[in-house]
Amino acid sequence: MDRNQRPRSIIDSLGEELIAILTPVSICMFTVVLLVCILNSDPSSSSSASFSSIATAAYSESDSDSSWDKFVGAFLNSLVFVAAITVATFVLVLLFYLRCVKFLKFYMGFSAFIVLANLGGEILVLLIDRFRFPIDCITFLILLFNFSVVGVFAVFMSKFSILVTQGYLVWIGVLVAYFFTLLPEWTTWVLLVALALYDIAAVLLPVGPLRLLVEMAISRDEDIPALVYEARPVIRNDSRLVQRRVWRERRSGQNDNDDVENRTNRNEVVRVVRSAEVDEEHVGSSERAEIYVPLIDRRPDQAENSETFLEGIGLGSSGAIKLGLGDFIFYSVLVGRAAMYDLMTVYACYLAIIAGLGITLMLLSVYQKALPALPVSIMLGVVFYFLARLLLEVFVVQCSSNLVMF
Amino acid sequence: MEEASRSDDSNLNPIRNRNPTPNPLSTIISSAQVWPTIDGPLGLTEEASVDYARRFYKFGFALLPWLWFVNCFYFWPVLRHARAFPQIRNYVVRSAIGFSVFTALLSAWALTFSIGGEQLFGPVYDKLVMYNVADRLGLSGLA
Repeated sequence: MDRNQRPRSIIDSLGEELIAILTPVSICMFTVVLLVCILNSDPSSSSSASFSSIATAAYSESDSDSSWDKFVGAFLNSLVFVAAITVATFVLVLLFYLRCVKFLKFYMGFSAFIVLANLGGEILVLLIDRFRFPIDCITFLILLFNFSVVGVFAVFMSKFSILVTQGYLVWIGVLVAYFFTLLPEWTTWVLLVALALYDIAAVLLPVGPLRLLVEMAISRDEDIPALVYEARPVIRNDSRLVQRRVWRERRSGQNDNDDVENRTNRNEVVRVVRSAEVDEEHVGSSERAEIYVPLIDRRPDQAENSETFLEGIGLGSSGAIKLGLGDFIFYSVLVGRAAMYDLMTVYACYLAIIAGLGITLMLLSVYQKALPALPVSIMLGVVFYFLARLLLEVFVVQCSSNLVMF
Repeated sequence: MEEASRSDDSNLNPIRNRNPTPNPLSTIISSAQVWPTIDGPLGLTEEASVDYARRFYKFGFALLPWLWFVNCFYFWPVLRHARAFPQIRNYVVRSAIGFSVFTALLSAWALTFSIGGEQLFGPVYDKLVMYNVADRLGLSGLA
């Protein structure tokens, strides 16, 4: 085959790797928008019961407050939430420092189970209720149990089917993101901006918790247990097939040279760690760091849920891109919230987020270190949401009603 | 062999070139190796696969047909190449049978319930159907 004789350039594999990370992000956002449109479209079913969690602990929004009150309340909510996240991340750093890795892994599996069973069950019940699907509770419980337990296996076990693990990580992102879109509107927007700022601080400042975590993991050459999405590594022509690329395995230092050699034509040093709270960054040249950041949700009639996610983007040991699950979640929250207004804002925000992600990936290849994935995309997304809502909509509506466009 | 074992991979996979290296020994090694998992060289080795297949098979008995299905999906090359991995094949085939039987039973029950409906079950239907159960337990009253 002549095609294989031609040396593969950077462009050939770069596109594949970008697509490998853009596809799950897009699927996650699309699913959240779909859920928001389906479950929120029926105005009679939307109850006035508010969704109370730690993000609305300081102030719960009601329609009658003035704009300034809402803004101040949202700001207080965000402060509380970011403070909670910071404390949780420092606890994580402490636990990792004390080498309680087994506990962290167990906690990760447990939180994945809670998210899948609890939140997944809630969403399924809402869907069944909406469509009046005639399923009985025995079948429902068996299906939910299956789904959750296999999800825990996928997240917990290090060597599992790549496709199944990726699918479950995307599902966990979708479920948590949907529940975050239920927060009041002002709180959501201020919270997103606050988290973007926190992300920059946590990853880039020398005292930031995520940076400490990553540096500890690098120095110890260990895995951090966390929920991170790793794209399937692209195996290129010049890779020696005898040396197996292991997706999730930690490699010893001696293999690093091989890796670096294999990738010299891309000039990648795989030591990019991103840390933001939620996603774990690729730590070291061959580690799959998984970091948890507790995300505490408190629902009125349910026990406290804690899930840990880590944000950030990095490069996996085999050159695959790793993106933290928190990034998935907050991108989807932004797009889901935009969907609550109109689909036009969804398109604008989706394009802004993808552009932001592309910029972040470019910065990643330039700086070769862990970078926060949230700030660029969230800032672009928020700016474009307000531009679309305030300026674009008026323009488009006027054009359409005068039959000039669309 | 390699293409076959990776033919079920997701479309994220790049085109796999089988013999890129000039070293004839590595060519022989790479072309002779059949990976037992669907991930190919990214997945498990044969020895670890036996352990995994056995564990999944045993765990599936805890009312987890989906785990059996994932077992079959993950070790799909084992099912395709009949004589390659006898030990793993044992467990995977039994998982497939278990999955089919359980699914048949479960779907028989679920279809009877949904198609039969109220005429078949009478008042018990209202007690079992999910949206009523959810209403009674207050689960569908989410924000």
